[in-house]
Amino acid sequence: MRIRANVPGTRSRRAAGAALIAALGLAASACAGGGTTGAASTTSSSPLPTVTGPVTITIADAYTATSSLGKTFSKEISAFEAKNPNITVKSVPEANYGTLETKLKAEVAAGRQPTVGQGYESFVDQLELSGKLVPISTLAGTKSPAELSTFYTGVQKDLYLPDGTLAMWPIGKSLQVVFYNSSMLSAGGLTAATDWNTFATDLEAASKNGVTGITIDPSAQTSGEEWLEELAASDGTAAYGSDGSPQFTSSAMVKALQYLQNLKSKGALATGTNYPGETALGGQKGLADISSSAGYYYENQAVGGKFKLTTTAVPQTDMMAGGNFFVFSSATAQQQAAAWEFLQFVASPAEQAVWSAGTGYLPVTAQALTQSAMSSYLTENPWVSQVVSGLNTAITDPPQQWVDDCGTMLATALQAGLSGTNATSALNTAQTACLQKKQADS
Amino acid sequence: MSSSTLQDAPRPGHEPGRGAPRRAARPAARRVLGAWRGWSALRKAFAILLGLAFVFPFYWTFVISTSRPGGFYRFPPELIPEWDWSNWSRAWNEAPWIRFFLNTLFIASATVLLCLVTSVLAGFAFGVLRFRGKKSLMVLVLSVLMMPGTVLIIPDYVLATDIHWVDTYWIQIVPWGASVFGIFLVRQFFVTMPQEILDAASVDGAGRLRVLWHIGVPAVRPALLLIAINVFMASWNSFLWPEIMTNSTNVQPVEVGLSTFSSDVGTDIPGLAAAATFTTLPLIVFFLLLQRHFIRGALSAAGSVK
Amino acid sequence: MGWLYSAPAVLIFAGFVIVPTFYTFYVSLWHWNVLNPALSTYKGLGNYRDLFTNVDPTFAQTLFNSLYFTLGMIVLGTAISLGLALLLMRGGKAMGAARVMVYLPHATPLIATSIIWNWIFEPQFGLANYVLHLLHLPTSQWTQAQSTAMPSVILFSVWHEVGFTTLVFLGGLAVISEETGEAARVDGCGPWREFWYVTWPQLRPVTTFIVVITSITSLQAFTQFYQLTSGGGPNNATTTLSFLVYKEGIVLGDTGYGAALAVVLFLITILFTLVRRRTAVGGGGLTS
Repeated sequence: MRIRANVPGTRSRRAAGAALIAALGLAASACAGGGTTGAASTTSSSPLPTVTGPVTITIADAYTATSSLGKTFSKEISAFEAKNPNITVKSVPEANYGTLETKLKAEVAAGRQPTVGQGYESFVDQLELSGKLVPISTLAGTKSPAELSTFYTGVQKDLYLPDGTLAMWPIGKSLQVVFYNSSMLSAGGLTAATDWNTFATDLEAASKNGVTGITIDPSAQTSGEEWLEELAASDGTAAYGSDGSPQFTSSAMVKALQYLQNLKSKGALATGTNYPGETALGGQKGLADISSSAGYYYENQAVGGKFKLTTTAVPQTDMMAGGNFFVFSSATAQQQAAAWEFLQFVASPAEQAVWSAGTGYLPVTAQALTQSAMSSYLTENPWVSQVVSGLNTAITDPPQQWVDDCGTMLATALQAGLSGTNATSALNTAQTACLQKKQADS
Repeated sequence: MSSSTLQDAPRPGHEPGRGAPRRAARPAARRVLGAWRGWSALRKAFAILLGLAFVFPFYWTFVISTSRPGGFYRFPPELIPEWDWSNWSRAWNEAPWIRFFLNTLFIASATVLLCLVTSVLAGFAFGVLRFRGKKSLMVLVLSVLMMPGTVLIIPDYVLATDIHWVDTYWIQIVPWGASVFGIFLVRQFFVTMPQEILDAASVDGAGRLRVLWHIGVPAVRPALLLIAINVFMASWNSFLWPEIMTNSTNVQPVEVGLSTFSSDVGTDIPGLAAAATFTTLPLIVFFLLLQRHFIRGALSAAGSVK
Repeated sequence: MGWLYSAPAVLIFAGFVIVPTFYTFYVSLWHWNVLNPALSTYKGLGNYRDLFTNVDPTFAQTLFNSLYFTLGMIVLGTAISLGLALLLMRGGKAMGAARVMVYLPHATPLIATSIIWNWIFEPQFGLANYVLHLLHLPTSQWTQAQSTAMPSVILFSVWHEVGFTTLVFLGGLAVISEETGEAARVDGCGPWREFWYVTWPQLRPVTTFIVVITSITSLQAFTQFYQLTSGGGPNNATTTLSFLVYKEGIVLGDTGYGAALAVVLFLITILFTLVRRRTAVGGGGLTS
C-alpha cells in the first residue's frame, strides 16, 4: 500500500524535472508563458497545442446534476460540443464544494484526476504547490489572455495564486446580498440600509412580536463567518493580510464580533443551521437574511408568495463567492487545449448570459448584461443589475493554502463569541490556531 | 484481548427470544398490583403512547412533505397534512430515485450474502478447527473493529483505483463483505456445539464442507438471521463511503442521493422532506412486513451472549 | 485448513482495513501531503506532540466530547432500554405494537433520520421547542448552543439506537422470567427485590454486551455529527475524536495529524473493550 501510494509521487517528481527543462526551453525560445509557472507546468512545452483530433475531457464540478445548476451546465456542454465536434465533455458533478474537494483529493492521491476541476483559491494553491496543475497562462500562451480584462476587477484578482501564477478561470460568481421582507420594511417605516450601523438599527427596530431581525449560521462555509469578515473589512482591516497572515485580533475584527454580539444580546440576531436565515425570513420571523445571490431561488421558495422580497447589495464591503475552474497537468496536451477552449467558451459574454439567467449566478463580465439571453431575466430581477457591479470591489479570502482551514477557526471564534465568550479572547484563540496551521503549511 | 475472554459460551441452539412476545401475561407486576385491574390497561396505554412518540418524527416529516409553499416556516408547526403533493413531484423529478433504490437493494443484498458466507467459514474455522496461528489471527480480526473507518477512505480509494473498482458495485460490496461481529457470533454458536456431532459426521466420511453445510449452517441459523439484518442495515446506512467511491448515478445508493439533495446556496425543506419520506417508506414497509424476523434477530442477540 | 476457511474474511480485512491501518500508523509520522506523497516531510512524533499544542480544538476538549457522548450513550441508552424492556416485557398485541414502534427508528437510515431531526431541533419552527412550549417549559437552542449541542445529539442517538438494545434486553428477560422468576416468587420476593436480586444480576452478560456494543459504536459515531452539527458544533462542542479524524484528515489538509488522531482513537477503543473483559461479541461493522 505504502509503495503503491508513493508511485504517483515518484512519477511527478520526474514530471517536475521535465517541467524544469520545459521551463528552461520556454525561456530560451522567449516563448509565451512568462516564467511565472514555477514547477507546476508539465508536458506542453512546444507552442500552444491545438485540438487536432477527437478528444474527451472530464470536468469535476460542484453543479449537482439534477438541480437548475446542473441542467444549465449540461446545456452549456451541449452547446460547446455542437460548436466543437472534436471535443467530448463529460461532467462529473458533486453536490457541493466540500464533497468535490474531498473527492478531488482522493482522486489526485490515486492519480486518476479529471482534466478540469473546480474549487476555491486556497485548495487550488495546495494543488499547485503539489505540482498538479497547469497554469492558465501556459494554456493561453500569455499572462494576460484577451478575455481577462473584460472580467470584473474583483473576479480578475481572484484568479491568481500567491506566487503570481494565473491558475484559474471563472465561471459564475455570487455576492452576498441582503434579502428583506418588504412588508416588514414598510410596516416599520424602514429602508434598506447602506451602512452597517443603520443595518443594526433596522434589525433592532424590527425585533419585536416574535420577530428576530436576522438569523445566521455561524459555522464555517456559510453566511455567518463571511459577514464577520465583511464587517471587519468595512472597518478597514480584512481578516487576512495579502500574504495570508491572519489579522483576527485587529481592532476592526474585535469590533466586528462585538457588533454581532451586541445584536444578539438585543434579541436582533439568532443562530441556526441549514440556511436558518432563509427559514426565518420565509416564516415571517425575520426582517432580513444575508445570503448568496445565487440562493435567490431558495429564498423565493421559502417565502412562497407570502410577501415581496427586497434584494439589495450588502452594506459597505461585500464578499464574493463561487469556485473557479483549473486544469490538471496530468491531462494530455490535447485535453489541455480542449479544456482551455471550454473554459474560454463558458466565460464568454454570450454563454455567461445563458449561465446567469439559468442559475442565478452573477456573470463574470459586464458584457453579458447586454446579451439578449439575459434581458428577460434582468427585467424580472432588477436587483441583479444593481448589485452586479459590486464584483469590481468585492473581496475574497487570499489564496494561501492555510486560509481555508483558518476560516473554520474564525467560525469557531464567532460561535464562541455568540455563546458568551469575550470577543478578544475568542479571536485570540483563532489567531493562535491559524498561525499554527500557517506554520505547519510553510 | 485474548481469545479466552471470548469463551463465555452461549447455549447451543438456544434461542430465548423466540416466543417471548407471546408468553402469557402472568407475573410480578400484575400479581402485586393485580388488585387494581386498570393497572394493566394503563401500562398498555403508556406503552402505546411511548411508541407513538418514537414514530412521531416520521409522521411529522410526512406532514412537512405535503405542506403548501412556505409550509415548514411557521410556528406553531403544522401537525396535520395539507395534502399538497407538489413537493413530492418536484423532489421525485430531481433524481433517478428508482435507480438509486434498486442499486441500494442490490448492494445490500449482495453484501449480506457475501457476509454470511465469510462469517460461516471463518466462524467455523475459529470455533471448530484447530490450526497454527489461530489465536493471533483472531486478535487481528478483532482489531479491525477498533479502527475508525473515516481514516481508511483515502488509502482505500488508492487501492480501489489500482484494482479499477472506483465507481463500481464491487467497491460498495466486497470491502463490507466480512463482519467481525458476524464471525464471532457464528463462532460462538460453534464453540458450544457438542463436538461429537461434527466429529461423527466426519467419521461417516462426509467432507468437512458438507458437514458444515448440512449440520453447521442449520445449527447457526439464528445467528445468520441476526447477521443478515445487521449487515443489511449497515449497508443501507452507509453514505460517506459510496459518496467518495462512486461518481455515477448508475451505481450510487439512495442515501447518497439523499445526502446530496441540498446545494451550497440554499435548501428546499419540503422537497427534502418528500425525498426523505419516499426513500424511507419502502424500508419501513419492508420492516413492518418482516418485523417478526427483525425482532427475533435482535432478541436472539441476548441468547448469544449468555 | 483453518487458514483456508478464514481466508475470505481475512483477505477482505487485510486489504481494506489492516494494511491501510498500518499505512495510517506510517502516515502519522509525517507531515503528509496527500496530493503528492513525495513532498511529505518526516515529522517523527511531531503530530503526536501537536495533540498537546493545537488549540482549535484542543485534543483534551475533543477527548472530553468523545467520552461525554460515549458515557451519555452508555448510561442513558442502557437505562432507557432496560426501562423500556421492563415496560414492554409481557402482554399481547398492544405491547407487540409498541415494541415495533420503538424499534422502527433503528431500522431507518441515520442520514434520513438526522435530516429530520435537524428540523425537530430548529429553534424557531422545530417540533422540539413546540413540545416544550406546550408544556410551558423554557425553550432551548438545541444544537445551536454550546451547552445543549451534545445533549441534543445524544437525544437523537438514543432515539435511534434504543430500539435494538431494548429488544436485546427483552431477549434476556424472557429467559430469566422463565427459569428463575418462578423460584423467586415461591420465595416470596416482592417485584422490586425480585428485580434487584434475581433479574438484574442475571442480565449482567446482556448488559455487558450492550455496553460494549454501545461504547464501540459511540466512540466511532460519525454520521449524526456530520448531519446534525456539521461544523463540529458551536465552539467545537460536538467535535469528537472521530469527527476530528475526518475533519483534519479529509476536510482540512492535515492528513498526518488526522492519522495520529486515528491512532489515538484506535488505542482508546481498545482500552474501552479491554476494561470490559467479559466481552462475548464485538459490535457493528466499520463506520460508514
